[in-house]
Amino acid sequence: MYDFELARPTTLAEALEMLAEEGSDPLSGGQTLIPSLRARLAMPERLVSLMHIDELKGIEQRGDALHVKGGTTHAQLVHGAYDIFPGLASLAGRIGDPAVRTRGTIGGSVANNDPAACYPAAALATGATIHTSQREVAADDFFLGLFETALEEGEIVTGVTFPIPQASAYEKFIQPASHFALAAVFVARFDTRVGVAVTGASEDGAFRWKEAEAALTEDFSVAALEGLSLPEQGLIADVHGGADYRARMAGVMLRRAVAALA
Amino acid sequence: MEKFGKSQPVRRVEDVRFLTGKGRYVDDIVPAGALQAFFLRAPVGHGIITEMDTSMAEEAEGVALVLTADSFKAAGFVNEMDFDVIELEDGEGAAPPRPVLADGRVRFVGEPVAMIVAETLAQARDAAEMISLEVDDLPCWFGPGPGGEDIHPEAPGNLAYDWSMGDEAAVEAALAASDRVVTVELPDNRVAATPMEPRGCYVEMEGGRLHMCFNGQGVWGAKDEIAACLGMEASEIRVTNPDVGGGFGLKGATHPEQLAIAAAAKMLGRTVHWMGERTEGFLSDNGGRDLVSTATLGFDAEGRITAYKVETLSNLGAYNSNYGQFIQSELFSKVAPGTYAIDKALLKAKGYYTNSAPVDAYRGAGRPEAIFVLEHAMGHAALQLGIDPFELRRRNFIPPDSFPYTSATGVTYDVGEFAKVLSRAEEHSDVAGFEARKAESEAAGKLRGLGLCYYIESILGDKQEFATVVFGENEVELHVGTQSNGQGHETVFAKFLSDQTGIPMSRIRVVMGDSDIIEWGGGTGGSRSVTMQNTATLAAKDGIAESFGAFLAEREGVDPAEVTFDDERFRLPGSNLSPTMLEVAEMAREAGRDDLLKQTHKGSLRNMSFPNGAHVAEVEIDPETGVTKVVRYTVTDDFGVLINPMLAEGQVHGGVAQGIGQALTERVVFDEEGQLLTATFMDYALPRAEDVPMIAFHHEGTPSTFNAMGMKGCGEAGTVGALAAISNAMLGALAPLGVSDIAMPFTPERVWRAIEETRVAAA
Repeated sequence: MYDFELARPTTLAEALEMLAEEGSDPLSGGQTLIPSLRARLAMPERLVSLMHIDELKGIEQRGDALHVKGGTTHAQLVHGAYDIFPGLASLAGRIGDPAVRTRGTIGGSVANNDPAACYPAAALATGATIHTSQREVAADDFFLGLFETALEEGEIVTGVTFPIPQASAYEKFIQPASHFALAAVFVARFDTRVGVAVTGASEDGAFRWKEAEAALTEDFSVAALEGLSLPEQGLIADVHGGADYRARMAGVMLRRAVAALA
Repeated sequence: MEKFGKSQPVRRVEDVRFLTGKGRYVDDIVPAGALQAFFLRAPVGHGIITEMDTSMAEEAEGVALVLTADSFKAAGFVNEMDFDVIELEDGEGAAPPRPVLADGRVRFVGEPVAMIVAETLAQARDAAEMISLEVDDLPCWFGPGPGGEDIHPEAPGNLAYDWSMGDEAAVEAALAASDRVVTVELPDNRVAATPMEPRGCYVEMEGGRLHMCFNGQGVWGAKDEIAACLGMEASEIRVTNPDVGGGFGLKGATHPEQLAIAAAAKMLGRTVHWMGERTEGFLSDNGGRDLVSTATLGFDAEGRITAYKVETLSNLGAYNSNYGQFIQSELFSKVAPGTYAIDKALLKAKGYYTNSAPVDAYRGAGRPEAIFVLEHAMGHAALQLGIDPFELRRRNFIPPDSFPYTSATGVTYDVGEFAKVLSRAEEHSDVAGFEARKAESEAAGKLRGLGLCYYIESILGDKQEFATVVFGENEVELHVGTQSNGQGHETVFAKFLSDQTGIPMSRIRVVMGDSDIIEWGGGTGGSRSVTMQNTATLAAKDGIAESFGAFLAEREGVDPAEVTFDDERFRLPGSNLSPTMLEVAEMAREAGRDDLLKQTHKGSLRNMSFPNGAHVAEVEIDPETGVTKVVRYTVTDDFGVLINPMLAEGQVHGGVAQGIGQALTERVVFDEEGQLLTATFMDYALPRAEDVPMIAFHHEGTPSTFNAMGMKGCGEAGTVGALAAISNAMLGALAPLGVSDIAMPFTPERVWRAIEETRVAAA
């Protein structure tokens, strides 16, 4: 780890002011950034911690949607969303291990957009809105590729609003070592539409599986998915699985999620 | 049995210390003010060092010393590691030098190239980034087998040794005359030892003497190696091992970092500390296994083995480590014919250098490899011959009336009741209920297989050990030459001495791991510790009883021959005096007989023991994903007389868990440039609690006749049996689909792909 300054603002305004200065980077739960710092892969001059800002914490129901503030940890979400949006609570409860869930935040995860992160799948499948310090962005327009999002310099995620589906399921096929998603599918069933998103599999990060959405919107059944498969192009191939394997596992996870809900 | 070890499941006294954070490991006891060391490591797998400029690093803030091969040698030290080479029919194995710090050429990613010593670790790291290192790449070779660029001029074709044992002509003739011949090629995947505590050490100067504290499996080997490397007398060196968080063979071998740290401490006259990080361990720790064997079994018409042949190619890594050349050759041979009456056996083993970290002992060291080959080949044979796997073993077991039995590889087994143990295993594992369990799995869309391995283990290590008993005013010290790495030695050794002498266990303190206090010992390794240390303790008890008896006889004026000791009290003829050993020690102290209060006695054995038993594993496979779970695991062991059944069972649990890891999840992968793709736990999959089922342990002991306790070593047995049991279970589950060629580790993708290929072929 290289030396850096650490600032601990207690209001969002103060944090944004600091982040506007040259050489400052935001630090949320640190579950990705701290290991990178330890390995000397990042060299920030100053880190602005977002962990002491009360206005960035909390979960509330807003009409048909669940609003989760950016600094909410996975562990807080497990409890806070349990009765309102159990599918999302279940997803949060399977991120990492208890230590990771106690520190890691939804804002950090969404802003990092790791190709194997869990939340982007739920955000894309439900048609969530990402709230930033400057604007509101639809999930479809927010996740732009591997570790890439619509966030500008100095802009941070302040919350995510998830439309609450009638029912949802997250089937996660884990990479055996890290237990990150190797191929995971979030299925969100609404009155008039079905959202399906895949994470862990693509070189471009989480994405919506629109063919699956169309088929399931017409007929929500495993049978409706007959013959449907994910193309291998652009999928990740590594020591844990080839692109063809990830494509097939995404299909298996999709069918299992639908079977669990049908 | 009562006499030698009361076979009680005594709880581990050291656990309270370990579990409450009071364990004292190397990193907990580094003296204040120690300098911190950081190693610059080879960034590529193979190449010539064309430039190494350390001048900026030397002048960086806080830096006390930068060592490279050149400055190491210029200081008068020997830039070569010690290792043994195997004897061959026509000479011996290759002996290319292994440098402490890379000398002109790097041969694996992670090889230490330079060491930076600074006031803080951050300063040492900063300075390391200022070293300009240029390497002209050479092609990498990963074998195992001939080929690639020569890594050492001393080893053309990268061949380190070509070793064989057995009568080739007789074996080939017997195979040719056999009714059936079964040949299988069996890869044995490379694993990383990954002890919970990585390697680390500190070295301080105490007056003119050098003290190294490191987390090892014994202190005496390192002491000799430091002396040779630094040109010091052994008497000028003290080596200690504090609490150690797992060794598994890895920590039995001196690694280059220790010698570099010792050199720096000597040069600077200051304490120098290094604690390896996890990725440094993955890169530079000795690896385990990493071989591929072709096994051929000949059978007669009744399914009896006519001959056995194994040809093995193994990876030694870039250099010879301590015992690297012996693992897949001599140690493999110890149990190669297993528990079967095989008259004709041929072993051919070739070891090759490759651009990976050296490969040396890993829990079992050669015996898990040999039993995996034999027992998985037996699994294939049962399938091909259409004989029930339990029955095929029974037909071939060495009969109980043939002992002592000398195997085809020249090892004499003392006792063995293999058929009896197997029958018990068949009951305990409820083989009869397997079809019902399989039907249940199939109803849930899963495949299920049952696999058997009947293993035998050969206990290794030094066949002598010492025990020193010191009668202090408040406690009795037992000095031992073995070394706990977390196995519970403090409990077992204190309890055994207590049982033998009547000294309360709470008054006994086990002392280990200090070369100034204990002159010599064999350390831990080869499952030797309890057998050897208790043999020494028995000798000590006899010696103390005799000398104390003589003292009492003189004091009371009786014939020494009539004084007896009954494991609790001394008895004198015609006297009401019946003192305990501690009471006699007090009398001796009052009489000024200090010579009696510290006694060292040696125990030695002519032969070690041969634990054996049956592992029965059941796996369940999800054919859609390839995810494989070990769902049932039953061990029925013959460990002779159990000294502490609870600790023996714990050793089996840990051994089986390591076996499950190698069989299902653990895999070391390099890319073509020699970069390690599995350098953290994010990519190297150790088994987790959920991957290990409840392991049923049963015991059917036949006492060993090779030691007084009748015990058999249990430290490695779990690992020895697990690989073939799980591999055979996989075969059982997958063979009906047409899959018979699948290698460990049975990762989801690999299993899925194997199933998928048969589907494609069938379509």
